[in-house]
Amino acid sequence: MQPTSTIYKKKAPLLVFLIPAFAFLGVYLFYPFIQNVINTFLNIGGLGRSADGANTPFYMNYAELLRDPKLRTALKNTLLLTLCTVVFQVGIALVLALLVDSIHRGARIFRTIYFFPIVISATALGLMFNLIFLYKGGMVNQMLFSLGKLHTETRASGRMVVDWIDWKDKDHFMTTMFLPVIWQYVGFYFVILMTGLSNISEDVFESASLDGAGGWQKVRYITLPLLRNTLCTCLVLAVTGALKVFDLPWVMFGAGMPEDRGWLTGTYMYDQTFNKANIDYGSTIAVLIVVLGVVLSNVSKALFRQTDDY
Amino acid sequence: MKKTKKAIALSLTAAIGLSAAGAVMAGAADPVTLSVVTSYGGDDGNRRNFEQAVQEYEDKTGNTVEDGSATSDEEWKAKVLTDYETGSEPDVLFFFSNADADPIIDAGKVVSIEEIRETYPDYATNMKEAMLAAASDGKHYAVPSSGFWENLFVNKTVLEDCGVDMPGTNYTWDQFLEDCQTIKDAGYTPIACSLFEVPHYWFEFCVMNNGSLDSQLTLPAVEADGSLDEAGQKWAAALNDMKELYDRGFFPENTTTATDAETVQLFGDGDAAFLIDGSWKVGYFTENYPDNLEDYAVAYVPAKGDRKATDAIGGISMGYFISRKAYDDPARQKAAVDFVEYLTSDDVLSRFVTTEVTALVNGAKPADLNSLQQSAAEANANLTGIVGAVQDTISSEAKGDLFGNVVAVVTGSMTAEDAVKSAIRINGNPGAADEGATG
Repeated sequence: MQPTSTIYKKKAPLLVFLIPAFAFLGVYLFYPFIQNVINTFLNIGGLGRSADGANTPFYMNYAELLRDPKLRTALKNTLLLTLCTVVFQVGIALVLALLVDSIHRGARIFRTIYFFPIVISATALGLMFNLIFLYKGGMVNQMLFSLGKLHTETRASGRMVVDWIDWKDKDHFMTTMFLPVIWQYVGFYFVILMTGLSNISEDVFESASLDGAGGWQKVRYITLPLLRNTLCTCLVLAVTGALKVFDLPWVMFGAGMPEDRGWLTGTYMYDQTFNKANIDYGSTIAVLIVVLGVVLSNVSKALFRQTDDY
Repeated sequence: MKKTKKAIALSLTAAIGLSAAGAVMAGAADPVTLSVVTSYGGDDGNRRNFEQAVQEYEDKTGNTVEDGSATSDEEWKAKVLTDYETGSEPDVLFFFSNADADPIIDAGKVVSIEEIRETYPDYATNMKEAMLAAASDGKHYAVPSSGFWENLFVNKTVLEDCGVDMPGTNYTWDQFLEDCQTIKDAGYTPIACSLFEVPHYWFEFCVMNNGSLDSQLTLPAVEADGSLDEAGQKWAAALNDMKELYDRGFFPENTTTATDAETVQLFGDGDAAFLIDGSWKVGYFTENYPDNLEDYAVAYVPAKGDRKATDAIGGISMGYFISRKAYDDPARQKAAVDFVEYLTSDDVLSRFVTTEVTALVNGAKPADLNSLQQSAAEANANLTGIVGAVQDTISSEAKGDLFGNVVAVVTGSMTAEDAVKSAIRINGNPGAADEGATG
């Protein structure tokens, strides 16, 4: 009897589904990206304006990338943020997931609570953290003041002067910037890891218990190896996600605060493009971000390679 | 039977055709939604007046206004210009009528008053023609709203607490430095200012202190030998004066990271003595500190050199523009014109004005001035000269660069001369063309 279905032989129907998606990507991703690369060689004085010819020399913006001290700062901060993201964001998410997985009651509540920051807009979070870290009257400074941790001095006039901590100054900005960014996405990785944990059969843990394995041994020798692929996915997402961070730091720190030490590649590109109207240089930074993203995601994929061996 | 069917079909077709035609005709008179962008956003002192005027316009015309107003700063200006460049401009824009508007005027994105008057002859006729800002093509585009002045606000309670006299019409820079030291020693912040966000108020007056009222608008240039010309040196000296204030600790501790709102609050709460700001802050304090109004007064910015303390910054720098896209759309043209006419009518504009300059032919009639407004009116009465802000004559990009570098200058990571040269290079200067500017 001859098979009646030809669905696997005829490729035409597949094209019907593939072409619209490909066209969409072509128009909204590949074309702008190629145009962006071309823009890096042109002299463009404003968004939407025509180019005033090519740069002289044509690679001027790429040479500027090597000379620009603000970009070096942005790259250093972004790479540090990526590292912190991998260590703390995924690390904290893993610990929380293991803890929540080990309880039987209230797991759903914790899932909701930890996931909650994801659904709040970064702008709102930025404003909230601005208030938390406000110089005078901010939550953190008020708490420190109440605990007597801030230096105070009474002047001859009888007025008490408090040395409030400027959480955005050059000594503290890194913590103030990274903390909200890391906090915001812990819940995202927590949910992914919880899903991974739920896929591990209870039978494995039961037999391990019968063999006399303790809690830590079960985590070390069963949970972590079986969670490896999920963890790899989280790490790759964390690395590539950290390179794109923009909104929260921009709301909290604006243009390079403090003293041009707070740039990230995303915020610096935005500032050059939209505030300084240096479109071609902004495009060049965008190309650098893409290259950096491709390189780092490949490196992280190679480092955290998924495997079927346990 | 066939004939009956034909008749029914014809009647239905006619009915559908007539309803469609009716819908089109009715559509022409339908209320429209007008997108409007102004700087009456955030904590602007006239925010409430603007919202009330918009509501009245909506009630009167049946049109709806989509208000995209925000607080005016360099980022807002850049965003507005970008919206025009990318084709997502508002129908009506309340914006700066100086060099900031050049990109949208040059690109033909807004309609001139002269062109609008061809169809609406009474448009902006309640304004003094001489006070309409002229663009480089000689035409006028913005219908002026209320003007502005910038001067020194003082917190009288702080001064009294520190034993410092109220600044008078002969207030000198040296006396000011002495007063600041006294105020600082007493545990107060002498000057409320965010050098990160709004250094331009101090810059303007420091430039005038190193020059004069008459030379305020002279733009700097780089000489052939790479040095700054006289105006450039004046700008550099102004930045160095600000650095001195910073080095001596007269600005708030967090001036390089604080927002304008934070430092204004220092002044409002009685933790800082001096604040240079504009006429719009009178409305802000009236609205946000109604119980403390007696604490504040408007005085005179300390002077040195040829400048008198009674010389100030001011003028009319903003107005209403109608976008070409809205004007060429028959459905929105009249709505846009009506909106601008209503917002700039004598009655409505008088509500926005307390002590500011206006271009109204009949003048504004502010009533019931409070103590701060009275103080501002008295200070204005003593003014010996008023000139526009020099920052309004350079491009947004150059301005953004110059003021973005103020923190670097005061903290010592950049020289004042380099900051000025960088701004000149971006603003365009033949002598700086070969200095390796980035595209």
